[in-house]
Amino acid sequence: MSLHTAEQSVAGRAVPGQEDLAGSTAGRSAVPVPEAAGSGRRAAGPPKIAIRDVGKVFRVRGADRPFTAVEGIDLDVREGEFLTLVGPSGCGKSTLLDLVAGLTAPTTGRILIDGREITGPGLDRGIVFQQYALFPWRTALDNIAFGLEAKAVPKKERQDRARHYLDLVGLDGFGQRYPHELSGGMRQRVAIARSLAFDPDVLLMDEPFAALDAQTRESLQEELLRIWEKTNKTVVFITHGIDEAVYLGQRVAVMTSRPGRIKQVLDVAFDSREGDLRADPRFGEYRHHIWTLLRDEVAVAQEQERTIG
Amino acid sequence: MADTLTASGAQAPGGEPPRATAPGAGAARGDAPTADDRATNFFKVTGRTRTPAVPRLAAAANRSLAIVLLAGAWEALPRTGAVDPVFVPPLSEVLLAWYDLLLGGQLPEHFQASLLRSLSGFGLAIALAIPLGLAIGWYRPLADFLSPVLELFRNTSAVALLPVFILIFGLGETSKIVFVFYACAWPILLNTVSGVKTVEPLLIKSARSMGLGPFRLFQKVILPAAVPTIFTGIRLAGAYSILVLIFAEMVGAKAGLGYLIQDAQFSFRIPDMYAGIITISALGLLFNLLLLSVERRFSTWRTT
Repeated sequence: MSLHTAEQSVAGRAVPGQEDLAGSTAGRSAVPVPEAAGSGRRAAGPPKIAIRDVGKVFRVRGADRPFTAVEGIDLDVREGEFLTLVGPSGCGKSTLLDLVAGLTAPTTGRILIDGREITGPGLDRGIVFQQYALFPWRTALDNIAFGLEAKAVPKKERQDRARHYLDLVGLDGFGQRYPHELSGGMRQRVAIARSLAFDPDVLLMDEPFAALDAQTRESLQEELLRIWEKTNKTVVFITHGIDEAVYLGQRVAVMTSRPGRIKQVLDVAFDSREGDLRADPRFGEYRHHIWTLLRDEVAVAQEQERTIG
Repeated sequence: MADTLTASGAQAPGGEPPRATAPGAGAARGDAPTADDRATNFFKVTGRTRTPAVPRLAAAANRSLAIVLLAGAWEALPRTGAVDPVFVPPLSEVLLAWYDLLLGGQLPEHFQASLLRSLSGFGLAIALAIPLGLAIGWYRPLADFLSPVLELFRNTSAVALLPVFILIFGLGETSKIVFVFYACAWPILLNTVSGVKTVEPLLIKSARSMGLGPFRLFQKVILPAAVPTIFTGIRLAGAYSILVLIFAEMVGAKAGLGYLIQDAQFSFRIPDMYAGIITISALGLLFNLLLLSVERRFSTWRTT
């Protein structure tokens, strides 16, 4: 399946599912959609998220100098795109996500969504955190319905929609479980369902799979792609894993060490993500390219940590 | 049915349960199940369905063993003369005295007086300390303003303040209820404050990201997250409410279990005194069990 035509492929599919995915891929390769046309159409429209010269400075208690987390960030995220953001640890990835989420305000610059400057958090953006952030006193279903309560959706509809998204993440039958009765992977599925349930345009994910074991992570990555193709969300996915960034992202934005800037945005063009994508020689090329970009930054970041510590 | 129950019941205590060995033995012989095997199997099945009850009974017996031993010692030691029966009458005499007090109406009267005071003070503490604690935990300036005073008072024993309460509110019911209230308010207040303050910041962040305003955030995240901690305070306060009340009733009262105990001792009705003490223990135990079950209902989600 051509990545740049995810929207069309969703529209053309009647029944979702793993087997169906494979089927539609076969059909698609027979009728290829020109890649240039897809991206060209996208480039013509305004960006979904526009980050313009954004900087964030924190005042640190007990330190004489302010702490610059990110500086001069310019980045456009296209409508319906899956963008991964990779950078050395402490480069301000999560700060950038908080800024886009509206949880903190930028010190300089502006962030626009659909051309409107954001003023605070809102239900047009959903966040998935690394540590799930589920409410332990609520069952899986009630957790998923949380955002709908904030949106004042009537109770009956809340339950229906929560059940729908529970099914979507493959957890039907686990609705009455409390978070502590679920495994890490299941909890993250619930968290994803919760963020999808109030139907945001943008999904912001802050290293959501970092705490999971390798196998669970891989299956959740696949599932996330399936959900993304089905729901047509714009996804901004933060990770420190190069493989994960290449595997998931249509584009990979590489950040510098602190103060974080965008070093390069890389187009990742695979014809299909079916099968063992990681064995594809081009996967290795992308991976190596990003690794080279990051290597120097990681060295700088480590030096920084040493001098601070 | 009665037969099978007795049979399985009789087998169970006899060391190794038969259900563990019977199938293995049958298989080792390698022949078809005999009528005898089927019989054991039958017991095995009934035995298995009964298992939840038998260990539970055994566990209950095990747990009450110490109590039974204590009761036995209480009965035997005075009777054998190892303990002076004038100061420690045998348990049976105490229970008889308790029964007489119950029939005579004194016990219900004193019990009611104590319960009323204790519940009033306790209820008042819940009604006032929880909202105050929530406010202190949530609203930083209030916490900064009040914490020196709170710090001072929490370290002032309620017992030390009893004379003050009596001075201000007189010897009647008011001073006792205020006294209980004061003692109960602290654990509830402090636990509520800490419950609100220790809410996982990520949960707050997550809720805020979904556009929750301060009021809804408090109602939907802070409050439910703090409930288990608040309940810990309530349970502590429940125990305090009875403990301190008895003391107040011994200092100045005309009714109540504390008064009963004190009065019985003054007039040398020693069995009556013990009857009063037993009643208080039972009341405290009951109160705690009640609060525990309420707590469980409210925090089923808690893992520990």
